[in-house]
Amino acid sequence: MAYSTRSRRSAPRKHLWNWGITLGSVAFCLLILPTRLPGMELLGVSPNWLLIWVVAWSVSRTVFESAIAGLVLGLLQDSLTASYPTHALGLMITGILTARLQQRHYLQGDIISIALIVFGMAIVAETAMALQFTVQSLFLPNSLYASLSQIWVYHQKVALSSAILSSLWAPALYYPLKHWWERYRPSNKP
Amino acid sequence: MFALRRWWEKHALKAGLAGLAVGAAWLMHQANGAIVYETYQFLTRPLQPGLPTDEQIENAYVLELQERVVELENQNQRLRELVNYAEQQTRPSTMAAVIGRSADHWWQQVLLNRGSRDQIGEGDIVTGPGGLVGRVLAVTSNSARVLLISDPTSQIGAKVSRSRSMGVVRGQSSSQVTMEFFDKVPDVKPGDVIVTSSYSQLFPPDIPIGRVASIDLGKSPAPAAVIQLSAPLNILEWATVHPFTPKLDVNAPPANILKDDAEDSQ
Repeated sequence: MAYSTRSRRSAPRKHLWNWGITLGSVAFCLLILPTRLPGMELLGVSPNWLLIWVVAWSVSRTVFESAIAGLVLGLLQDSLTASYPTHALGLMITGILTARLQQRHYLQGDIISIALIVFGMAIVAETAMALQFTVQSLFLPNSLYASLSQIWVYHQKVALSSAILSSLWAPALYYPLKHWWERYRPSNKP
Repeated sequence: MFALRRWWEKHALKAGLAGLAVGAAWLMHQANGAIVYETYQFLTRPLQPGLPTDEQIENAYVLELQERVVELENQNQRLRELVNYAEQQTRPSTMAAVIGRSADHWWQQVLLNRGSRDQIGEGDIVTGPGGLVGRVLAVTSNSARVLLISDPTSQIGAKVSRSRSMGVVRGQSSSQVTMEFFDKVPDVKPGDVIVTSSYSQLFPPDIPIGRVASIDLGKSPAPAAVIQLSAPLNILEWATVHPFTPKLDVNAPPANILKDDAEDSQ
């Protein structure tokens, strides 16, 4: 993205490292998605690592960059599951909302506000998925789910467990990433 | 005497404690260490794989049934050989370990550690201990993604093994699924075994799915039953992949679709 040319102390190797760490962390999140480690599971639901990554990314970036990150990671997650309903929608909304909140200085980078924002965004992202299922069930001929009530009952269960687990595990991913990005992009916007 | 009294005054506490300890140990010994074992059991309860005794007995019973099935299958094989039954399967069944779960919360999927290099293809049927598990959605060279039958999007043509009442089984994102019957008054009761029917396009007939847990005959539009899946999907560790080609060509004449399973569907 554009920020790599903006950095004043740009040594090519540093950029290479920065990209490596950024992409590596995404790859790590993707790899950890199918695992269900003990302590990382609640009602069969594990933390939404990609959502945590998007929040960590969006906290110090513009709305546009955040939306792109949400789109990219959403598509990656689609590739692991199914193309419809897409995860990109939920993750894009997550990125955009987080970036907007940050711009209006509602957010400090401390553990509580990150956990809270991840909690809220996990619910938003799962709601985006449930809405897509609902639209499909209402307007498209062959629906995946039998009834609307089934979708929303399941949504409650998934959204709550995902939100709780994601917000608890958020610092584990957020702090290393934040530390790295602050260290290697000192000239970036707040 | 005096010396003894002085010693007692000096060491009364110690002696008392020692006596208490020995007494307690003796009691414990008499009780065969019950307290220790009870405490140990209580403390390690979160770490134990729960398996109550009736379940163990049931497991032994299941083992016996499995052995009988193996015997019957062998007999069946012999008989088929005697009548020159042409073997339809060309690819062998493959055992695979479950190495992962769905990458998000809305799909009930598992990831297997075998793929197209082990001749697993899309549409293959996956079974586990207990019965049907799902079918292969996508394969890479060394992994296969399986849509579980507990997924709400999975639909299976099924029948009651005892009475041959037909219906459709739909997942519920849990270890129970629902079955909607085609008949208005199906012949079904709790405990009945549900197997895949020969009308199912995506699954071969006569694979066990589960048992009827409860029935709601008044449900509209069709009477429905709750089925307890017999395969433990949430703790599945190993699965068997059977080659299968889905019968997606529904316009083919029925004789071609049903093949040798016609006697089952009656």
